[in-house]
Amino acid sequence: MNKLKLNYTSLSFLPILVCIPLGYQLINNIHFGGFKLFQEFLISAFNPKIDNEIIITVIKRLNETILIGFFSWLVSIIFGAIFGIISSNIFYKIFNIPNFFYLTIRFFLTIIRSIHEVVWGIILMQIYGINFSIGIIAICIPYIAVNSKVFAEQLETIDYKSFESINQINAPKFSSLLTLIWNPIINTFKNFGLYRLECSIRSTVILGLFGIGGIGTSIFLSFQTLNFRELWTYLWSLAILIILSGLIFKKIKFNTKNKILSIFFIAVFFITILFSFSYFLYFIFNNNFENFNSVSSLFKSRSDLGLFDFLKLILETIILSLLSTGIAISLPPLVIGIFNNNSSKIFIKIFAFLLRLIPTPVILLTLLTFNNPSLSLAALTLGLHNAGITSKLLFTNLDSQDKRNYMAMKSLGISKKTSWLLGLFSQQAKSYLAYCAYRSDIIIRETAIVGVIGSVGLGWQLQESLSSFAWQEVTIVLIAYSSIAIVGELINGKIKNSLT
Amino acid sequence: MNNTVLELENISYKYKNDLILNKINLKINSGEKIALLGKSGSGKTTLISVLNGTIKPTQGEVKLFNESFEELDRKQKSKITTIWQDLRLIEDLSAEQNVNFGLLAENNFYFAFKNLLNISSFKKAHKYMKLCRLHNSIYDKKIRKLSGGQKQRVAIARSLIQESNILLADEPFNNLDPKLITTIKNLLLENVDKNKTKKSPKTALVALHRLDLLNDFDKVIGIRDGKIFFNIKRNNLKKIHLEKIY
Repeated sequence: MNKLKLNYTSLSFLPILVCIPLGYQLINNIHFGGFKLFQEFLISAFNPKIDNEIIITVIKRLNETILIGFFSWLVSIIFGAIFGIISSNIFYKIFNIPNFFYLTIRFFLTIIRSIHEVVWGIILMQIYGINFSIGIIAICIPYIAVNSKVFAEQLETIDYKSFESINQINAPKFSSLLTLIWNPIINTFKNFGLYRLECSIRSTVILGLFGIGGIGTSIFLSFQTLNFRELWTYLWSLAILIILSGLIFKKIKFNTKNKILSIFFIAVFFITILFSFSYFLYFIFNNNFENFNSVSSLFKSRSDLGLFDFLKLILETIILSLLSTGIAISLPPLVIGIFNNNSSKIFIKIFAFLLRLIPTPVILLTLLTFNNPSLSLAALTLGLHNAGITSKLLFTNLDSQDKRNYMAMKSLGISKKTSWLLGLFSQQAKSYLAYCAYRSDIIIRETAIVGVIGSVGLGWQLQESLSSFAWQEVTIVLIAYSSIAIVGELINGKIKNSLT
Repeated sequence: MNNTVLELENISYKYKNDLILNKINLKINSGEKIALLGKSGSGKTTLISVLNGTIKPTQGEVKLFNESFEELDRKQKSKITTIWQDLRLIEDLSAEQNVNFGLLAENNFYFAFKNLLNISSFKKAHKYMKLCRLHNSIYDKKIRKLSGGQKQRVAIARSLIQESNILLADEPFNNLDPKLITTIKNLLLENVDKNKTKKSPKTALVALHRLDLLNDFDKVIGIRDGKIFFNIKRNNLKKIHLEKIY
């Protein structure tokens, strides 16, 4: 018998096997009573509520979302670049600083980004109460760390020989550093900036679901009152905002040869740094620690969490991450491969856009209308949302790929599906898997959001512990979360390196 | 009077388990034009990297103007300029920005900033680019858009703009046609000989493969397997010397 040989193409489809246990549990958990509600939710998408009152609310809520999203994006991208520089090896080489500092900063940033912005938001809300600034700070904390990783990775692609060459000129250290990092920083900003702005807006919406404000809060309130028509008005307006921000960003040309534009960006850079520092100080000194009176409460609080329960929660979180990752990897190529014609492609693209647009807690709450809360349901939600993101990447790459192989195979009489698989997808599989390895890092962090709502894993426990001000439990859960995310990042890093 | 500008004392360099340079002793005197010969992989590039301080030797000491290289400050070290075999230009910057980056050592941080924003003066850069027969249409072109020969001349212009006393060049005539080789060779070596201006390089060590270019040098060093096989006056160079290293 021939041995099964795994290649990048087959590895892209294999994870779909997670649907077997997942489907089994989901089918067993169906309750038909909620189907009518689900149907109403779907129909409302084509009939959103439009009147003066809601339009005024939409404008007001979108303004809040834009403000939180834009400022958190601006601050996190600028400080992300700064931390990216000081966490890249080129900085330490130029200034001859011992590696110990490099490793310490990297470790510190890894811990910060391992905790999702929703978790930061919930913790800060518990300490400071609900506040507009909490939204910006909660997004900025992990985003600075995430952005710094991207900037640092780009800076580490600088050819070592360029470093040697500039080092040999014996220029002042800061001049050498600036000359070396200038283009990688500009290019990262150009290629990555828009995506991060979109992420900031999405995160603002998700934090809104937890009461921070903006359109997310309105989405959550309309879902609570089962006012689906109103809900869809908010979702469509959010879609327009995301599409518009993308179009505006594409129109802006970051031409470094334009002197006035360059000076403007540099002014924005320094003003943002100054403003952020002053605002942060103002925030610290003008807020009362409402619930977190002293650090000592951390040690006074008791933990009722048993070891067995705790380990069960960790296991649930890991399984949740694996199942969601499986769906996010395999569903897009499978669906695109099966429904491989132009009209289906348009439908899949719209569906994927909706999966990206609708915040995961809303997807989960919608599915909860006809399914009992379970690990599988949480995994399906997270998997579907991320499949929306991975499918966008896959579509972009497939659309820009040279189609000569595909055409040649079709001309030989090979079926359209097989030609697509071997002539198109097989050439993308490796880079697609490398991106999915990066995506799975994010999925691990996002388990916190669905955990809070879907009653599974550490996310749920965190919400419970925070509600009862059990700070010791909160600390334990956060350490566990960080550890899972850090181990996940290490494993995914190895996988990504072997694929690139 | 001791006019040694660069000196290697018992230099060895080991990379992993390979001995790349093996107990090298070398003195380079002011105003000397030295050709460095040896087949590929013989240690020429490593020797240049040790001489300019890019590589720290595993054993031995490098002296610049009779002082240990390690103890010199930035300004003193910048008296050496290097033309690398692989050019080491910054691909995303324009040709004039790359040439200007040769001026970083004598300017402050603000100059580097202005250079990257394209608001610094390129007058001096243009002067040296013109000397290297670079047409003004390529001044603001990014390096990755230039041909091999144009890149080579940008690297040479970047080195010349430093106006250093000592020139180290690793196969600087690659990618150049015969007419350009003569121009560039004169540019690199002429002032060494005639000492016309104090701003031009006075001492030069150039790694070469082409033996027809040796006439312009007064000393020849032959290197094989990380060892110096001969260090003689060019007039004394015989076939037997070359057979030892090739």
